[in-house]
Amino acid sequence: MEALRFNGSGSEYFKIWIVNILLTIITLGLYLPWAKVRNRRYFYANSALKDRNFEYHATGKQLFLGYLIGIVFFIIYNIVGQLNPALALLMMLILFLAIPWLIWRSLMFNMKMTSFSNVRFTFKGKAGRAYMIYLGYPALFVLFISLIGVGSSVIIPALQNMNPVVITVLGIVAFVSFLFAELYLVAIMKKSSIEYRYNNTTYGQGIFDTKIETKKFLILLFKTAGLAFIPMLFIGVVANMIIPTMIGANPYQTGASSVIGGAELFIIIAYFLMIFMMMLVGAYFVSRERKYVYENTLLDNKISFASTLRARSLAWVMVSNFFLILFTLGLAFPWAKVRVARLMLENTLVDTSVGFDAYLSEKQDEVSAIGDQIGDAFDVDVGIAL
Amino acid sequence: MIKGYWHPKGSAVRLSATLFVDDSGYYTVTVEDKEFALSGEIAHLELSERLGNVERKIILEDGSLFTSHENDTLDKIFKERRKVNSFVHYLETHLSWIAVAFVVTIFTAFSFFKWGIPWTSEKLAHALPHETNQLISSGSMKFLDKYMFDESNISKAKQEKIRQHFKEKIAPLSEGDDNQIEYKIHFRSWEMGGSKIPNALALPSGDIIMTDKFIELSKNQDEIDSVLLHEMGHVVYRHGLEMLIEGTFITVAVMMISGDGSGLGDMGVGLGSALVSSSYSRGHESEADLYAFKKMLIAKIDPASFSHIMNRMTVYMEEENNRTKADAQNEKVLDYFSSHPSTKNRIELANRYSECFKEGLTLCK
Repeated sequence: MEALRFNGSGSEYFKIWIVNILLTIITLGLYLPWAKVRNRRYFYANSALKDRNFEYHATGKQLFLGYLIGIVFFIIYNIVGQLNPALALLMMLILFLAIPWLIWRSLMFNMKMTSFSNVRFTFKGKAGRAYMIYLGYPALFVLFISLIGVGSSVIIPALQNMNPVVITVLGIVAFVSFLFAELYLVAIMKKSSIEYRYNNTTYGQGIFDTKIETKKFLILLFKTAGLAFIPMLFIGVVANMIIPTMIGANPYQTGASSVIGGAELFIIIAYFLMIFMMMLVGAYFVSRERKYVYENTLLDNKISFASTLRARSLAWVMVSNFFLILFTLGLAFPWAKVRVARLMLENTLVDTSVGFDAYLSEKQDEVSAIGDQIGDAFDVDVGIAL
Repeated sequence: MIKGYWHPKGSAVRLSATLFVDDSGYYTVTVEDKEFALSGEIAHLELSERLGNVERKIILEDGSLFTSHENDTLDKIFKERRKVNSFVHYLETHLSWIAVAFVVTIFTAFSFFKWGIPWTSEKLAHALPHETNQLISSGSMKFLDKYMFDESNISKAKQEKIRQHFKEKIAPLSEGDDNQIEYKIHFRSWEMGGSKIPNALALPSGDIIMTDKFIELSKNQDEIDSVLLHEMGHVVYRHGLEMLIEGTFITVAVMMISGDGSGLGDMGVGLGSALVSSSYSRGHESEADLYAFKKMLIAKIDPASFSHIMNRMTVYMEEENNRTKADAQNEKVLDYFSSHPSTKNRIELANRYSECFKEGLTLCK
């Protein structure tokens, strides 16, 4: 097993980053696709396994058209949103329907544009499956919640004459089973999404294969939810303590501005606490999930992977990066990004005993970058590990 | 001689190789273990763009690949013989250009948030028809009535008296700034955490709400009028709509900035947006104050009434706070914020306009 390395540095990336911003400002945003290519290429090309590295092949020109479409849609959406909320809702709906397609296109494009040691990756997933995972399951999730709502509004009136102890017990049972069902659905979504992404990815002629169980995800989700419950309880108590001071937080009131000042400070403190808790819980989930998925993934049934990422190191990098970015008003962003990349790569292990010499790029069709860029403009998460 | 690696076309096979270039523009790539060489004209080679010190890729004529980290030597060889696109790399490696980029970035970001967003939002807010204001506040009154307010305990006679006074004396002052606005006065009781809240709020549509405690704390008609004029200022300047547009801008800007991040920068985004928004709303307050003071001079009302009622409301709220929680720490925090310069500035401005009023002026410089 050999760990990946990151060969870049924060100071080197800072120069690339700041020049990207300069050119983006001068061109009023038109340079952004080219900036994105430079950013991404810097991170791909500096990620290495022994003496072999990754490479990102997309060009600014390929991304430009999709970028324009994304921007135009975004501007129209915002204008329409201010003038006609109903129409904006319709546009949002259209976007929702398009999201699985965008994710699917982005995966295809990004995989084709990525190589390791001169061999390209490909993504062979079907659009239909993307619709199932990124639209079907979430819809089921929402439907389930609304069913619970409707169901309880029917049942609760019928319970009025019953013993309060019985009602309490029933309530607890209903709540627990509801929680269990929801988490189970989330576990299924997570599992299918990972399988969709990994099992449809090839490296040259080699096929990735990941075997994961819903049960394991469910256990991890329960542990995470338990961990998240403690800070939520804490924040709930704090929030209840400060709510009386938040009176009149509306900016359009005339008086009592000094009192708002007091409330503002409390809100900021509560906000920080919440971010902390979210980072700690998030670090726990990410590190455990990675470990489980990597250890159960094989390339061609012979090359194995592992993750040594620990929750505490990830949490430390996240929290310290947060302050680094906050206190430098964003100027330390390049260092923060390099730190994350380094931590992630150095904790990713690949079995190199078989070697990669047998792999060959497959012949490929050209893929347009529209999905990729629109996906980005609307912040659709299409990130893929490895 | 440049050391590197050679890959057959589309293959992961990686063999040590060297690139040799002679003076006449020909190259030779010698692959070590295989003991064979490829050669041709340099002009036919395709060199990837320089980026930091990442591995360079040179595509040979047969589609095979030569890679090397010897970036400086490669640049030198290729520059002499053919065009190399190194403009961006030039910027990235020259300290003076980094400094320029640094300054431009900071200046642009600062002016964008300081002037760009408020200016554009103001222009946009005023370019939109008044119907937009009614649209965005259509649901607000119902929401407030349902979740925050109770019915007013002020007698119908007193309510009518205040309305009548407003209609005759205050509303006409707004003539000339925006004739489409039809002001409506509402009375409500507002209680929260065991305290009655003295407050006046304006919806963008022109609905102005005064709470019972506010009426109770006000000592005369002038004080009520000063607050009503302040609220009218918010409506006339379309601050509600501006806030909405500003919020959209901030979100878009923040999305663009954190666009290449790994969701890491997003964490601070909410906080940043909140701070920027609160600084904008402070600007809105002083704008509304100024509107009220100017109108008060015309209507012959002493602008000091405004600072009187403001002070009384602040003192009342602080007392209520101490009553509901006897927390020494809490008091300190409040103390720090009550000496906040923005509150001081508002009172100073009121006093200055009051001076003008005493001199009998209708305009104050």
